[in-house]
This record gives sequence, C-alpha cells and structure tokens, in this order.
Amino acid sequence: MNMKKRITEGIKNLCLSLVGFAVILLLWAFIVQYTDAGLLIPSPLGVAQRLIYVITHPIGKSYTLPMHLVISLRRVMTGYCLSIVAGVLLGVSMGRLEMIQAIFRPIFEIIRPIPGVAWIPMAIVWFGIGETAKVFIIFMGGFVNIVVNTFAGAQRVDEDLMNCARMLGANERQVFFRIVIPFCVPYIFSGLQVGLSTCWMAVLAAEMVAAKEGVGWIITAGQDIADMTQIFVGIIAIAVTGLALAAILRLAEQILCRWRVRGK
Amino acid sequence: MNEITSNKLVIECKDVSKAFFNREGDHPVVDNLSFSVYENEFVVLFGPGQCGKTTILNLITGLETVTTGRVTVNGEIVDGPSPKRGLVYQTTNLFMWYNVMKNVEFGPSVQGVPKKERRKRAQHYIDLVGLTGFEKTYPVKLSGGMQQRVGIARAYCNEPEIICMDEPFGHLDAQTRYLMEKEIERISGAEKRTVIFVTNNAEEAIYLADRIILLRNCPTSVKKEYCIDLPRPRDYTSAEFLALREEITNAMDKVI
Repeated sequence: MNMKKRITEGIKNLCLSLVGFAVILLLWAFIVQYTDAGLLIPSPLGVAQRLIYVITHPIGKSYTLPMHLVISLRRVMTGYCLSIVAGVLLGVSMGRLEMIQAIFRPIFEIIRPIPGVAWIPMAIVWFGIGETAKVFIIFMGGFVNIVVNTFAGAQRVDEDLMNCARMLGANERQVFFRIVIPFCVPYIFSGLQVGLSTCWMAVLAAEMVAAKEGVGWIITAGQDIADMTQIFVGIIAIAVTGLALAAILRLAEQILCRWRVRGK
Repeated sequence: MNEITSNKLVIECKDVSKAFFNREGDHPVVDNLSFSVYENEFVVLFGPGQCGKTTILNLITGLETVTTGRVTVNGEIVDGPSPKRGLVYQTTNLFMWYNVMKNVEFGPSVQGVPKKERRKRAQHYIDLVGLTGFEKTYPVKLSGGMQQRVGIARAYCNEPEIICMDEPFGHLDAQTRYLMEKEIERISGAEKRTVIFVTNNAEEAIYLADRIILLRNCPTSVKKEYCIDLPRPRDYTSAEFLALREEITNAMDKVI
C-alpha cells in the first residue's frame, strides 16, 4: 500500500518535472523563432545537433567534447582528492586535538571566507599557467568545505560513546578508527558534496582564465569566435557532468551511511 | 539478615568520598560510603533521584576517581576504565554504525579474540537476550527495548568480572520496562554474574535484587540494607512484595 503510493507519487513528480523541461524548451524555441533574440541565442535544435556532432568531431583544433570533459575531470579529481586527504586530516585533528585546533584554527578562519576563484591570480603568479595552478585553485575550493564539515563532526563525538569503547577494552587507536572516524563519516560526506560542487566550479573558472583545453575553455573559446551554440554546448556539458558527479557521490553516501536509515 | 550464597568478596567500597570542584567551591556527592558485593550477587543501589548513584557506578567502573577512600574489585584498586568491569548505560550508547553482531562482539574484537571464537560467543549472548535473527540489523531500526538488549549482550559478551547497570530501563515505557525486568531476571539466572543495578524504582529493585542497598540523599552514603529472599520469579502483587515495597519506599529520603 505504502510502497504503491510512493511509486505513484514518484511517477507524478517525474511527469511534472518533464512538463517543466518541455515548457522551458518550447519557450526557448518560440523566442528564438519569433523574436530578435534569435540573433543572440541559438535554437534548441541547433544546440542539440551541435552536441551530437562534437561528440565525434573536435572543438577547436584537437579535442572532441568527451576529451575536453576527461581533461577537466582529471584536473578536478586531482585537486578534489588532495583536498579530501588534507581536509579530512586537518578537520579531524582540529576537532580532536586542542593543540592542533589552537594552532590552525585562526589561520583557517582567515582562509575560509576566500572563494576558490580568488586564488586564481595568486596561483598563476606562483605556479605559472600550467596544471599545478589549476589543481591548486581546485584544491582550495574543496579543502575549505571539507575541513569545516569534518571539524564540526569530530567536535561532536560523544564522550560517553568513547568511554564506552574504552570500557570494552579499546585502546586510543581503536577508539579513533572505530568510533571517531565512523561518527564523522556523515559529516565528512556533507563536506564532500559541497566540496565537489565548489571544485567543479573552480576548474571551470581556472580553465576560463588560463587553458587551451577543457570544458571551461570551450565556453571562452566560443565567446572569442562569437559562437553562441558552442557556449551553450559548454554550459550543458558542465551542468550534466556536475549533476552526474553529485549523483555518484550520493550513491556512495547511501552505501557508506546505510546505518543511518530508519524504517523497515 | 539472610545468608549470602557465596562469601567471595568481589567489590569493596571502603570509606569512599567523592566531591566535584568548581568555581563555587566543593560539591560533595558521595560521603563516606562503604559497602561490599559478593560473587554472583545481584545488588541494587536504590535511592532518590540525583542522589549520586551514577557517580558511585562511575567510581566502581573507573570512569571517575575517588576523592578519598578506596574501591577494589577482586582485590585490585580501580584506577581507570577496564574491560574487567562492564557497564550497561542509561542511554543505550550503541555504536550506530555497527550492526547488532558487531556491537555485541566489539569488546572481544578490540581485544584481539579470533573472529570465529568471538562470533560464537557473541551469537550465544545475542540468543540469550532474545535477538536471534537481528544479527545484521543496525541499531537505528531497533526499538528502545531491543537496543537495551543489545547493550546488555555487549556487556555480557566481554565476560567482565562485574556488570554495572545504570538505570538501564529508565527511558523505556512502562510495559517494555516490566518485560525487560523479567528478561534481566531470566538472563541473570541463566548466566550468573556479579551485578550492580542502579534504579530509583522500588518495584524494580525488589523484583530483581538479592540485596538492596538504600542510599541517602546527596551527598550519599548507605542508609540501610535489605536482603530480599522472596522466591523467584517474584510476584509484584503478593502481600510480602507489597509490604517490602511500602517499607523501602517509606525508608527512602524524600526529595522534592
């Protein structure tokens, strides 16, 4: 009964969201067809055709759309993974060790409000316009969010729960790995979610400023040659990839945090 | 006074005092408390709310240290938490990221007992507390009473010298509470252990105890002891039960 209700509810929501998409597309097609805006906005059909075309044909000189995506994703993953390692380490140690917190928290609080893209000029001066600068910008984007969330989790670990583990014979290392870390996992995941979207934004910003390839570059290159269709192709590729990355992470969270799910 | 089944002294609190210090000054919680618990005895610490019962348990388990006096378990002075002393908590304090099996085998697991052996041991206690079939269930999906059963199995599975229970049924609804009292009686009958059980519920105390230690109001010490020799399982409505209940309730310090 309940299950059946949930399924019909799901179908209903899906239909409604499809209606939303259809309305936007129709409106878009209508505006392009019947107003002067058609000079500035490509038609939805044109964008769709170009999207399919660039999957096999290069944008610019050398890379097809999937290749550009792979290049961007590789940059994001490098920076993101580094920010996970550093962010979780700093977050947990700041949350559990008062001395580490006393040393790093003030520095961190200063860095925290700086958006990832604000590091672009600095990164270019420090590392040139190569890969290192881009990875650094992405790293700074993810790092802050991951530290903030991990730190919040590590601070909240219940003292009674740790004592309970100690009374059952756990040493401090076992308390850390079996109590502190699992307790922090849901907090770390909310940091990973926010961190991933900021990293994804940071790579685009970095590529728009200094790159010869990548999805960010597709947009700026489109701007340079006044090819609106190419800009739209870039934007759509960014949106779909961002969505897919978030979905993969949510799936990982569902598996790792299934102990939190109530109900039968 | 009745004969105690065994004469082996297990827990001894001798002239124990405990005070907490803060800016306003000393706050004595336990004042010159002395009592003993013998092997396989089920002793209930009974006293008014906030009188310091939990503090006494913390002193016995080693989570707190005495200000003066001495607590020994099997002749050893208590100087910190140890797997030799198990505790069942008021709030269940389960490890929510572990399923029932992994919670119950936590103690043997961190102490390096081989997997096969600890699984067997854990299964025995899971069966004992009536959770057979729930081994792979996560605590979040269990009711309050079932969670408390996991807590009890976890304490037993570590095979400690003593088991302390700190108002384990305080958060349960009345019906589940009666059921769990019956269960504890069955479990402690099946697996003889030295148990200290803390409660502020006279009925629960009389139903379960071999001996009740009545505590004064804070700062607490022993006011009186009662050996309960009613045959088990006890009947809440028998004349002797009700008479004892009235006597003990009247003897308890009144707090507003």
